Amino acid sequence: MDRHRIARVGLAAGLASCACFAPGVNARAADASDVKALQQELAATQGELAQTKSELQETKDTLNALKQRVEALAAAAPAGPSLAPGTTAHLAPVNADNPAISFVVDTTARSNSHGDGGSPVDGGNGFALRSGELFISAPIDPFLRGYATINGNTTQGFDIEEAAVVTTALPWNLTVKGGRYFADVGRLSHWHDEALPFVDRPPSLNRIIGGESRAEGVEVSWLAPTEQFIQITGGIYNSIGEQAGTVLNNTFGVGSYSELTYLVHPTTYFDLTDTFNVEVGGTYFAVPKDNDRHLYGVDVTFRHQPGTSGFYQGTTLGIEWMWNNQRFANQTPQFNAAAAPLLTNPALPFDAITNPQVFGSRFNTRQGGYAYFESFFGRRFSAGLRVDYSEAPADNVNTSLLYIAPLSPNADQILTYSMFVTWMPSEFHRLRLQLDQIVARGEPDDQRITLQWTAFLGSHSHGFTTR
Amino acid sequence: MALRPVSATLPLLLLTIALPANAAIRVVATFPDLADMTRQIGGERVDVVTIAEGNQDPHKVPVKPSFVTKLNRADAVVVMGLGLEHAFLPPLLEVARNAKIAPGESGYIDASLYVTPLEVPTSQNRTQGELHPLGNPHFNLDPVQGKLMARAIAEGLERVDPDGAQTYQAGLARYNALLDRKIAEWAKLAAPLRGVKAVSYHPDLIYLAERYGIELIGTIETKPGVPATPAHLEELIDAMKQHKTQLVVREVAYELPLAQTVAERTGARVVTISTLTGGLPGTDTYIDFIEANLRALVGALSTAGSP
Repeated sequence: MDRHRIARVGLAAGLASCACFAPGVNARAADASDVKALQQELAATQGELAQTKSELQETKDTLNALKQRVEALAAAAPAGPSLAPGTTAHLAPVNADNPAISFVVDTTARSNSHGDGGSPVDGGNGFALRSGELFISAPIDPFLRGYATINGNTTQGFDIEEAAVVTTALPWNLTVKGGRYFADVGRLSHWHDEALPFVDRPPSLNRIIGGESRAEGVEVSWLAPTEQFIQITGGIYNSIGEQAGTVLNNTFGVGSYSELTYLVHPTTYFDLTDTFNVEVGGTYFAVPKDNDRHLYGVDVTFRHQPGTSGFYQGTTLGIEWMWNNQRFANQTPQFNAAAAPLLTNPALPFDAITNPQVFGSRFNTRQGGYAYFESFFGRRFSAGLRVDYSEAPADNVNTSLLYIAPLSPNADQILTYSMFVTWMPSEFHRLRLQLDQIVARGEPDDQRITLQWTAFLGSHSHGFTTR
Repeated sequence: MALRPVSATLPLLLLTIALPANAAIRVVATFPDLADMTRQIGGERVDVVTIAEGNQDPHKVPVKPSFVTKLNRADAVVVMGLGLEHAFLPPLLEVARNAKIAPGESGYIDASLYVTPLEVPTSQNRTQGELHPLGNPHFNLDPVQGKLMARAIAEGLERVDPDGAQTYQAGLARYNALLDRKIAEWAKLAAPLRGVKAVSYHPDLIYLAERYGIELIGTIETKPGVPATPAHLEELIDAMKQHKTQLVVREVAYELPLAQTVAERTGARVVTISTLTGGLPGTDTYIDFIEANLRALVGALSTAGSP
């Protein structure tokens, strides 16, 4: 537009100049009319110039308006081609054929004052691969998800620790789990080793539950549809934890429904203040027949979770106590000849094995539990103390039917004091040092020091249960 | 007589399940920013509860059972998205037994839906720290992105509660008008920030920096989510001196002493901001939160030393 305007103005000025300096007197009259014509043309050009200026301003205004609109649209526009119709969320791409996979490397170096103590995995001296754990999980369909944990360590090969399916879309707030998994017993019994706040599982859980609460069966969990968190889990299993290794269930299988293990575990939770909360659970499981086992447990967890930026980041105080009552076969420290023919004679009724007249039996009540606190500092440090008390049956339960040897009666009560410090260089990498003082009645005290080094490959999470 | 305890308990249970008067839907917002926007858009039609507090590190929100019951009864969950909730929301949703708010379902409202993510990693290698695979999720610090968040929330509410479409559209229009006015004001307020060099504790300033022209020199963290090492701090301090860095931005959820040490070594000034609504006093709304951050940054400039 500017070029046209300049050309027109230049043309008019040129013509005017030519008119002013044109030679010849005879031409004066004609010149006068030409000048008039030129003046008219000049006036017209000037009018046109003014209109052009006006149009230019209008175009500028339009351009500015468009620019503002583009900016507004840019601020409000969707990402466009990256969104499929009906998209409700940015979700990480997932290949339906590839489940989430992770692997945990959990190693320890341990020394104790007794100088040995057996396998380094279980408390003896030396280096150990305490756990190499492969964890796989994925949704199966809109109604089910599945997961598996395959675990091995220094003293045993890989074993399927868990392989379970869990419903995801049942009505009435119900969830059903089936397969092999850690039954919902107490609090720390169903935690995996690498998720525990200590190097080792509390000895009382090892001696009373039998380590992890591994079980095969079916578990139903119900969440109350209320503001108050109330969850009740009920389960039926072949066995739980230690029971998995007992003779009666393991060797001969389950003879009747009364020889299964039945569990109920209610849990509730209270926010005491914005930063203090408490979680309370109760556990009861029983084997009605067979060894007539009844285990009662209570677990309480206090947490202070300020969630702020100070050096102190919070504290957890966990307490768990169990009472276990069950019938054990009377045991004698020699070869049990009476059992030998039974093992090779499947025609014999199962109850014959537990018949007190065959082996004799006695009830044993034992109790135990632990209390610990752990405080968190900075973003990567924590430290805590743990006290654990446990009782073993006065006569040992030997898992071998053929060779039964009692434990030293002096070692039936064990107190363990532990101190632990944890440092996490990153979310996926952890170093932990633990000192244990083990006081067994009638035995020399044992001091143990363990350094644990744990790393997590892949996205590793056991979910809500290990919060 | 045997039924008396049940009959006495039932009304109490029903009371706990009942919605507040006028509210049509229950919404759980993971962060206070989202809760405020949802209230602004939905008004009394939405009953909103929040999971995280504004002064918490969004990457480390505690997983409390009380959140499970809130999610169990929710018609919708509003999330920041881009993986910001990865540490606490998946385990909560796993046990909440509420399929309608599962990721990808209509009740899962992702505020990042229309945000164009920045710093999307090209590799998922953990040597680069704890990266968010979908991109930097701290877009809420930029108010222009706030408009996109509001749009996604309004559309999500409309999806969950079509009968309230008019309410949500009107609420969004009102909120957008308010944001537009404030965005224009903030552009003038933040003008002094253009060209200012700063470091932050965590890499969460990129959207804010892009909007107002702040030049980010580095972070106190060695890598995202990985605490500072002495070697990294020396490198950072050298870089700050070289670039004449004026501000050490300490997010309220992170520790102050280290930021102070870095500032003392470089002559820069520490300024505390929040990455979430409610993280600083008097910032109960998203608009207050943005304004408080900008005022803090600009205010710090006036007293910042010359390195």
